[in-house]
Amino acid sequence: MGTLSAAVKASGSALAAERTRIEVALSNIANASSTRTADGGPYRRRDVILTPDNVNSFDAALGKASATGVRVAGIVEDTEPFQQVLDKSHPDADPVTGLVQLPNVNTQDEMVDLLQAARAYQANLAAVTVIRDMVARALELGK
Amino acid sequence: MSINAIAGARLAQPGNITQGLSKSAGGADGFAQSLGRLIEGVEETTGAANTAVTDMLNKNGDVHDAMIALHHAETTLQLTVQIRNKLVQAYQDIMRMPV
Amino acid sequence: MDGISDGALIAALRRQMTVASARQVATSGNLANQHTPGYKTKDVSFDQALGQKLLPMNSTFKSHLAGPGGATAPMTEVQGLQERRDGNNVQLDRELLNMNQASGDFAAAQTALAAKFRLVRYALNESR
Repeated sequence: MGTLSAAVKASGSALAAERTRIEVALSNIANASSTRTADGGPYRRRDVILTPDNVNSFDAALGKASATGVRVAGIVEDTEPFQQVLDKSHPDADPVTGLVQLPNVNTQDEMVDLLQAARAYQANLAAVTVIRDMVARALELGK
Repeated sequence: MSINAIAGARLAQPGNITQGLSKSAGGADGFAQSLGRLIEGVEETTGAANTAVTDMLNKNGDVHDAMIALHHAETTLQLTVQIRNKLVQAYQDIMRMPV
Repeated sequence: MDGISDGALIAALRRQMTVASARQVATSGNLANQHTPGYKTKDVSFDQALGQKLLPMNSTFKSHLAGPGGATAPMTEVQGLQERRDGNNVQLDRELLNMNQASGDFAAAQTALAAKFRLVRYALNESR
């Protein structure tokens, strides 16, 4: 694969992946207090699993060096236990104990993830732009 | 109509195709051989350029490699055509000489 | 003629563009995987990259063009970078700096090469 086309594929793959992370972080933040989901019970935090993704499967299969992109392997639910808060006035509080189960979401952590994903998105977008300019310059040699 | 100008252009040519020309300036056979070598050079560089451009299009090769190959093919062809033209002119000049 | 021949110069400029492209590939991969757990920063293994492209000066241009085929340059893991909890050691500022350098090297070589091409074309045109 042409070197720069491999590079742009790798950088481009990160745009979709980081955008997914942004969306999941936003969803977690929006549902940080949701005690009643459609399936019943509190909202469970979701996590994005990232895995490296060889840009050129042929080169990779032949054992040659290949550009490494990234791929969302899956979006999974965080198995950390729900938070338990004592609040008898809450509509979803346990009638006996008065405990409310809240989503296992830490809003501050989600904000950090959100900002990191946004910054990574911008960095990869910058890379795509740089590569585009490099290719344009290389083509100039033919003029 | 200075051959020196052509020699000047040779400086920019990797492979130094014109080396054969200056060495064998001594006879008709020398000219024919040199011209043959020049034409071979054109075929070779044109073929390499085609390969490089195809590789670029297939995402199998780099853009700058294709551009450099194209430039090399272009200069080889230009040089060859100019040398050929000079040879033809020289031949015609000789033929016009009164015996 | 004294000094560096045109053929060697063009080969050197081409090599710089190729190496800069390879560095961009490494940086793109690193930036793409900056949040992938366990991913280790890669870079072009310079000795190998230069060794591959260093050809004898008297070889024909055809063999000059015989690059590494479809594969990109060999890469190694960069040592000495701090790891985060998930095992990832990509440093954003290092990658952005590398990207700037790679695109700068590429632009410089391309500009020089374009100028060289112009000179050659001029010489050929003037000798008509």
